[in-house]
Amino acid sequence: MYNSFYRKVGFGIGINDKIPADPLKWATDQLDEIPELLWTGWIPSEKEMRIKYGEWIYGDRKVLRKKYKNDKNAYRKAKDKLSIQTGERFFELNEHAIRHYQTKYSNQPVFERFWLFWGNHFAISEKDSLADFSTGPYQREIIRPNMIKTFEDMVQEVTRSWCMIHHLDNSESVGPNSKRGIESRDTINENHARELLELHTVSPEAGYTQDDVINLAYIMTGWGHKWNNKVLETGDVWFDQDKHQKGEKIVLGKKYKNEGKRELSKVIHDLSNHPQCIKFVSTKLCRHFITDNPTKDMVDPVIKAWTNSNGNLIKIHKAVIQQAYKNNNFTYKFQLPEVWIMQLSRIFDLNLPISSKKMNYEFKFEPSNRQEQLTWYLNEVGHSPYRPKQPNGWSDYEVDWISPELLLRRLWFASNEIPNHVKIENYSHGFMSLCLERNFDNHERMTSMIEDLKINKITKNDLEKIYGIICNLPWILKA
Amino acid sequence: MNCTRRNFLIGGSTTLFLTGFLSKQSFGNIKKNNLVIISLRGGMDGLTAVPVLGDKRLKKLRRELILEQTLKLNSDFALHPKLEIFHQLWKENKAAFVHATNIPYTGRSHFDGQNLMETGGHVPYKEKTGWLGRGLLSSNIIGEGLAISLPMPLLLRGVPQNNNFFPSPDYVKTKLIDYIYDEFREDHNELIRSTFDTIKKRPISMQIATDSNDRNKLAKEAAKQLKDSSGPRVAVFELDGFDTHAAQGGVDGAHADELEEVNNIVEILHRNLGEVFNDTLIVTLTEFGRTIKQNGGYGTEHGYGSAILMAGGLLKKAQVYTDWPGLKKRELFEGRDLNSTIDARAVYNSAMAVCFNKDPEFLKREVFWGDNLPDLTSELFKV
Repeated sequence: MYNSFYRKVGFGIGINDKIPADPLKWATDQLDEIPELLWTGWIPSEKEMRIKYGEWIYGDRKVLRKKYKNDKNAYRKAKDKLSIQTGERFFELNEHAIRHYQTKYSNQPVFERFWLFWGNHFAISEKDSLADFSTGPYQREIIRPNMIKTFEDMVQEVTRSWCMIHHLDNSESVGPNSKRGIESRDTINENHARELLELHTVSPEAGYTQDDVINLAYIMTGWGHKWNNKVLETGDVWFDQDKHQKGEKIVLGKKYKNEGKRELSKVIHDLSNHPQCIKFVSTKLCRHFITDNPTKDMVDPVIKAWTNSNGNLIKIHKAVIQQAYKNNNFTYKFQLPEVWIMQLSRIFDLNLPISSKKMNYEFKFEPSNRQEQLTWYLNEVGHSPYRPKQPNGWSDYEVDWISPELLLRRLWFASNEIPNHVKIENYSHGFMSLCLERNFDNHERMTSMIEDLKINKITKNDLEKIYGIICNLPWILKA
Repeated sequence: MNCTRRNFLIGGSTTLFLTGFLSKQSFGNIKKNNLVIISLRGGMDGLTAVPVLGDKRLKKLRRELILEQTLKLNSDFALHPKLEIFHQLWKENKAAFVHATNIPYTGRSHFDGQNLMETGGHVPYKEKTGWLGRGLLSSNIIGEGLAISLPMPLLLRGVPQNNNFFPSPDYVKTKLIDYIYDEFREDHNELIRSTFDTIKKRPISMQIATDSNDRNKLAKEAAKQLKDSSGPRVAVFELDGFDTHAAQGGVDGAHADELEEVNNIVEILHRNLGEVFNDTLIVTLTEFGRTIKQNGGYGTEHGYGSAILMAGGLLKKAQVYTDWPGLKKRELFEGRDLNSTIDARAVYNSAMAVCFNKDPEFLKREVFWGDNLPDLTSELFKV
């Protein structure tokens, strides 16, 4: 009765995966180390991508818009060309492939599931060209390495990351009594401070006030990108004392004395270890993996693991897995569209994503349809991972994922698109039964549904019906 | 792979939602008034759409954004040249504008602002339903609603049994559902079951992929549905791209492009609705306006007061309805933005009252927690 556990905390058991003797041990053993990225294609660094981002916005804003000020059509044409030259349309496709390659082939799929969780907890929403250049590298370089450290370590690094600072406008924030504030009469931008409280750490249940938001924004003033005429806003993050609000600040009743750049570390330390933060994030973890409405019995052991280990993420992750295992047969979780696609690809050994060789890009032509395919699917099923509409990321609640059109899109993907990704050697009843047996407790029912279709020898034409039906059954939509 | 539809999704940057179907039994004796909302995400610049005439200060602060060839409305206001259809309808008393208005939100965050423009609340993310959804529910307009989008938009949430639709990449064989339907019979998940029911009951027209990347197609589809006396009476469009921090431009430019899209939608609705345009009200919605002053990138920053563009035969007359706060420094909100002197929610509450045949006082209580929203029905609309 534990077959669904492999999907609940992972992506199912692939045809080449060994069936674990002890599912719980299988899962908890995957969390101590960071698995290497398996993608053999290009994996650009965050810094490298920021330079590309800079070329794109500089070329557009400083060159093209001025050059073609009075000719909109010529401007559009030139912008298209620049987009191809800078790779603006390509990088996200590559990032999706890196991500899906990992979830398909990693020996630590459970770790990868947590990677998806944290990337969405500290979400970068669709803004400017972030998804085109920076969100993917941010997931790889900021989120991933911190998953074996503490929660506080992760918050410290995320909060100072170029991507999050740009996303939440902290570079625009100036302390009104700072040198710059007095000269320019500029003031704070509360955006980042508010989200640090609301989304990243303590949540509104902590009962913070507008004054707390303002004081936290004061503490955060000065942290921004180092601007210059050439790189514009893509410069490295630094602390600019001239923008920093002077004086004592009070956040959630605690005083922070005036000590410049050191104030931020201290307030993040306090927020990350606040009981309300621990409760909020522990509950969110349980909701993501176990059920929409986790009980106190599920959440409390996670809170306990957190407090006992001072927020060690390895310990926290293991506690979540233990609860998922313990409650496996009494709970279910509706699987989000992207995870569902990842699971189907692993379970049925689909040709998805494409190989790194085929992801080659010359910066001369638009990306090919084949290169765009996975990204297109993700968009069509309504779950483009690096483009949530709001900084609160994609919802974990099933009510946000069940609508007629969203369910139809799953039918469309399974029946119209999966057949293009099934390997020819897998056109057989034997293969289907084997995959189902490895992953579903009621695989017999599923196999008999395929038998009812009375297909003698499976051809490509039959795949539409087989996958359309099997992939949309209740026990595959849920885990 | 058919890629054209993706262009439709992304390239169009327009989304359409339809809802509020009258049930077949009841439509016979109720006059159907249509309400169309066009969401303008990113912060629509009211002073670009409906510029005030002869203000020297505005000219000075927006040297690179000043409009030429504006379409004159009256002695005080003009229209952006891309809003031609509004100008034409103005002459027939079928276009009007509310100016220096906004939802009661001054925080200048898109996400909070958009959340509040949809929920109609005061605290971002606190309310889980939209004002339009609550308005439909309290007016008993439930039945078979239809939203044209992938997820259910927040603006419409709060009324059950909405259908939704968005032109799909390919024809989906809904008969596949027959094979799996019974497997959900025992399912604890009522929502999935009822959702499959809804899919099975879909009209055949919604089950066939439309093979066009023409962004105007959604507007045509909306007109077709709204025209049907048993069809929806609420349609919601979404446009984004109004956040023009840079290269906003004047007559041409980023903001003008967006206004042109609004114009296209209204133009297509007007052309395709025919007589039904007289029983229709179109209003725009945005999270905030933009700063008076242009910035270093020839754009504008997040502001406060904006304008509501309105069209349709349910308008009382051609007018710019405003309590104009002025543009002198001390008259601006926080010294930088056009102030808001009219709570935009009063306009939406009154619009719902007219279109749903309900008392505005009743709707105000049911939808906006009894907030102090003046009844503008007799000022703005045909009652």
